Amino acid sequence: MAATPPPPSFSLHSNKPSHSHSLLRLSSNENRTFFSFNSNLRCEIKGFESHRGWTIERVSDMSKDSANSHITNPSSPFLSVSSVTSASQFPTKNAKRVVLFYCPETKVLAEKIAAQTDSIELRNISWGKFPDGFPNIFIPNAQGIRGMHVAFLASFSSPAVIFEQIPVIYALPKLFIASFTLVLPFFPTGTSERMEDEGDIATAFTLARLLSNIPISRGGPTSLVTFDIHALQERFYFGDNILPCFESGIPLLKRRLQDLPDSDNISIAFPDDGAWKRFHKQLQHFPTIVCAKVREGDQRMVRIKEGDPRGRHIVIVDDLVQSGGTLIECQKVLAAHGATKISAYVTHGIFPNKSWARFGHDNGGHPESAFTYFWITDSCPLTVRDVMNRPPFEILSLASSISASLQI
Amino acid sequence: MAMVKSPNKQVNLFYSLDCEDLAHNVALQSPNIILQNIKWRSFADGFPNIYINNAEELRGQHVAFLASFSSPAHVFEQLSVIYALPRLFVASFTLVLPFFPTGSFERMEEEGDVATAFTLARMLSNIPISRGGPTSLVIYDIHALQERFYFGDEVLPLFETGIPLLKQRLSQLPDADNVVIAFPDDGAWKRFHKQFDHFSLVVCTKVREGDKRIVRLKEGNVSGHHVVIVDDLVQSGGTLIECQKVLAANGAAKVSAYVTHGVFPNQSWERFTHKKDTLENAFAYFWITDSCPLTVKAIANKAPFEVLSLAGSIANALQI
Repeated sequence: MAATPPPPSFSLHSNKPSHSHSLLRLSSNENRTFFSFNSNLRCEIKGFESHRGWTIERVSDMSKDSANSHITNPSSPFLSVSSVTSASQFPTKNAKRVVLFYCPETKVLAEKIAAQTDSIELRNISWGKFPDGFPNIFIPNAQGIRGMHVAFLASFSSPAVIFEQIPVIYALPKLFIASFTLVLPFFPTGTSERMEDEGDIATAFTLARLLSNIPISRGGPTSLVTFDIHALQERFYFGDNILPCFESGIPLLKRRLQDLPDSDNISIAFPDDGAWKRFHKQLQHFPTIVCAKVREGDQRMVRIKEGDPRGRHIVIVDDLVQSGGTLIECQKVLAAHGATKISAYVTHGIFPNKSWARFGHDNGGHPESAFTYFWITDSCPLTVRDVMNRPPFEILSLASSISASLQI
Repeated sequence: MAMVKSPNKQVNLFYSLDCEDLAHNVALQSPNIILQNIKWRSFADGFPNIYINNAEELRGQHVAFLASFSSPAHVFEQLSVIYALPRLFVASFTLVLPFFPTGSFERMEEEGDVATAFTLARMLSNIPISRGGPTSLVIYDIHALQERFYFGDEVLPLFETGIPLLKQRLSQLPDADNVVIAFPDDGAWKRFHKQFDHFSLVVCTKVREGDKRIVRLKEGNVSGHHVVIVDDLVQSGGTLIECQKVLAANGAAKVSAYVTHGVFPNQSWERFTHKKDTLENAFAYFWITDSCPLTVKAIANKAPFEVLSLAGSIANALQI
């Protein structure tokens, strides 16, 4: 990491034309000398057809020639350049520089993503409105992103904001960028994904169609990063003009569970078969309980279908929560069957109409009436803002997962 | 005009909630237009929960949807229906979108501008092709003639105009032979002048003097005439008011206005209503069509406003 040039001087370079005069001026300064070599090397990389092959070649060359001894010798600029770059690239795993745009709702998450690595640079968009309510949007310095990898962090928290963000999503790929990635942590309308009757409208399919219509950038189709989409079948709603990358928040949960004092007493409960289908493969090292909704007359009741909660700290896992009724019914049943503690995890905490308020904290030992922990990710920014620092809620950030996805 | 031509095609007409009145008016024009229902509901999170009644009975039928994108919030729910209807084995699908919003933000003056008119054209060009072929898209007085080419080949735009309604209305005025047409700028002249061959024309222009934008009479004579300002749409109405002042100062006997689309955000139509305490009201008439249903509701029976309905024209378009 020490070998990596500091970000300010790096960004300074990106604003300057590359010609010999610039190089000559920079070479007069000791620190700038390395920077200059780095700049020169980037030109070299572009000349190779296979970037990966070039890297391998340099590594073997370095060990053979003992290139380290030449690092500070300006009379051998090529060897010095290769040494510096080889050293600096390994810690960041060939980091791809990405320009990340975001909407007002996702600003906080965007800043967390950018904090994960020096390779991600934040850019803002001018979000205005005409008096009639329609968007008046401007992407500053649009020419400056030519040849760059570009991403947009979206959040469709309501139908209204879809039409505010879609114009940007359709505009960015056409600005001569190297590639375009749309990060949509929560795919809304995901629960309206099937037609039980002719005449039903599956708005999940509507949204998939809108996103499949994103123009193809010069670097190829858009990559779409989304987390824990509601049903596995929805993978196939997207056309071939977009490349969906389905990620999950479950690894964050597993890491968090390991940190608990009673981590060896955890069992996972699924509120229904759908959640089991979605997640059981990722949680198979935990004892599992599956609940089921059954009808008795007009009543819908939750029952334990299989598994035993006695004496265990139960974590109910689902992809999303809306009003939370199902989770509360599960909690009651699990407590009645002997669970000592009950917690919950959902990737997407939607909570319309402040329904998060019904979830109280157990304050150490009342599983029948409250939750010990309630983990959500930051895929729904409006909820994160509401429940911050409010037990039992705890936010597990998707920032590092998104940062890693942007390097694919 | 009274009789719809070649009344052979029966059309099932769905409509957005805002357009209910207009849809009923369209259906009154012809026994071959049958209104159909959609259940517009929402889930608790605000996303649409929509159901098309009698979906199976639409098979083999001609189907149309009357849309109104009055705000960004309404685009997604109606688009969900628009994308669903053509796939129900219908004989053909027609989308009637009387007002194409975002129409005035249609160009990129700088890299980085986001032209939302093109976004909307792209979304509509993505309508699935029905078994009977691409969707016909009926739009009235789109803001700029170039926007015709924003649509892809998967949709067939049909560009209609409200001007015939205005001309018919002008012929009924007591001073019909004293009417001249004024355009507030060159854009409006380009859009409409061909349709007013038999009228004297006046063109205004906006000029900058320092930081001020001033409207001037560029060409034409208004002395003693009843001047009708014509444009495709009105937003806050500032331009129309500036024009009216200039025309009056140049000797117009009366000033009226026509726009096809009365957008009037934030109740801005109020500045045009006749007030009792003023000696002279600025506009004699202000005609709009019913392409913006929210405005039609707001201005009902308020002078100088008068609504010229597109219902007959839409009914004709559905028979194409």
